[in-house]
Amino acid sequence: MILQATLSGIVMGCVYALIALSLVIIYKSTDVVNFAAGEFVMIAGYLGLLLLDHFGLNYPLMVVLTVTLMFAFGALFERTALNKIVGFKYAAEAALVPMVVATIGLSFMLKGAVRVIPSTEEVLRLPPLFSGPPVFFANIVLQRQDIGIVIVAVLVMIALTLGFNFTAIGKALRATSQNPRAAALIGIPVKRMRMMAWGLASGLAGISGILLSPKLLMTPDMGNVVMLGIAASIVGGFTSLVGCVIGGIVLGVVQNLIGIFVSPQAIAVTPFFIIMLVLVMRPNGLFGEAMRLKKV
Amino acid sequence: MLRLAKIHASYGSVRALDDVSLEVGEGQIVCLLGANGAGKTTTLNCISGLVSIPSGSITFDGEDITNAGAETVVAKGIVQVPEGREIFPTMSVEDNLILGAWLQKDRRAARQRLEHVYDMFPRLKERARQSAGTLSGGEQQMLMIGRALMARPKLMMLDEPSLGLSPLLVQQVFEIIKTIHAEGMPILLVEQNARLALNVSSYGYVLENGEIAFHGPAETLKQDQKINEAYLGV
Repeated sequence: MILQATLSGIVMGCVYALIALSLVIIYKSTDVVNFAAGEFVMIAGYLGLLLLDHFGLNYPLMVVLTVTLMFAFGALFERTALNKIVGFKYAAEAALVPMVVATIGLSFMLKGAVRVIPSTEEVLRLPPLFSGPPVFFANIVLQRQDIGIVIVAVLVMIALTLGFNFTAIGKALRATSQNPRAAALIGIPVKRMRMMAWGLASGLAGISGILLSPKLLMTPDMGNVVMLGIAASIVGGFTSLVGCVIGGIVLGVVQNLIGIFVSPQAIAVTPFFIIMLVLVMRPNGLFGEAMRLKKV
Repeated sequence: MLRLAKIHASYGSVRALDDVSLEVGEGQIVCLLGANGAGKTTTLNCISGLVSIPSGSITFDGEDITNAGAETVVAKGIVQVPEGREIFPTMSVEDNLILGAWLQKDRRAARQRLEHVYDMFPRLKERARQSAGTLSGGEQQMLMIGRALMARPKLMMLDEPSLGLSPLLVQQVFEIIKTIHAEGMPILLVEQNARLALNVSSYGYVLENGEIAFHGPAETLKQDQKINEAYLGV
């Protein structure tokens, strides 16, 4: 029972980790907390369903196209809205509040836009990535979709690790996030890097949407799941990519154990409780860099 | 080689540069002196394309690079070593250096360049795998100079390279500047330490409140009474 709960906690934790990674990549590269990340997850779910049902694409093609479109959407939002606010690239710090407000605006806009489509009034469901009978190990039952989630999440994390540490473009992205001024002075196109970071993060949110939508009920409000991503990244320290993964998994497991030992009703408040606990006990999270004060 | 003609710059309503003209010739070291807030860094940032200028022009090698943007300026061959510790702290020393060659498409040439930089700074080679944030202040200054050299500059600008370094390290940094210059590199040097700067330069400009107050050959400036009183503390 406990083992079963822990395992399904790890599964959900992997998805929280992906959402957290999406948030942290944007935070590290542009100093902005993207409050629309949940809506990106939601949009990706609906987009996937649209491509499957309406356009009759097969599943792998749908995944590729959804993630590509989400990448383009995120990059476009950065280029059209945020870039206008930043104006000149190194004055970014001065424009933090308007940029965060822009992401909040975007989240309402996306929710509103989805509600306009009549069929979203009923609860929809995206078919899972892997279907079939569950797998049994001793007395543990694992859904194929859950195994798929863990595999996809781990592959994405490996790809990110390799990308950020061993490719020229990944290093340039890190350089831009650590010191945009120094990056510009050696000719790294800072604006394009910011756009890429947004694209990458939106693509990640897209993957999370495809993984989550079969498990959750799809509604225009399913973007609230972003709270779990925020909780995971706060546990991890909000600046550490490794922290996100560990934070997500810790959160998923703790949620499920609380469901067993306290009460299922307590699951919903767990992330908020964890956020409070981490912020009081260890404000920089488990892996975060020391807090920097910033003028806003 | 590099010519600024009557450039103006302002931050909002605050005027930072007023009618600044200066020139750096082939193989010259030119220094730009002045008190804090006189506009020295702003001048460099205008050249580097980080600050846009409403009027005036900047030409390099006969080409107009006014408001061309940072990427273009670096591609044309002007690289700035900024003031302070502007490194990528969690990346390795070697990665910091390799990023300097971002615009160099030829990877083999970049490798050779790296060896050249390591020859110049053996210390950086010893610490190649260490993360740059763990280097000492002097080593970080060396790293920034090395990183700028990786971009194969045709002209280097150094902003306060002696800032916050011990006298011994300051001397080392100036030795390096002389070495780089000896290879034929023109240098625009911004310094608060006027005496040191004038000793290595052939020409100097003095900025006061965003305007060029004096300029002339370094020898002349060293003898000028007003400059002696204001900047050399004699």
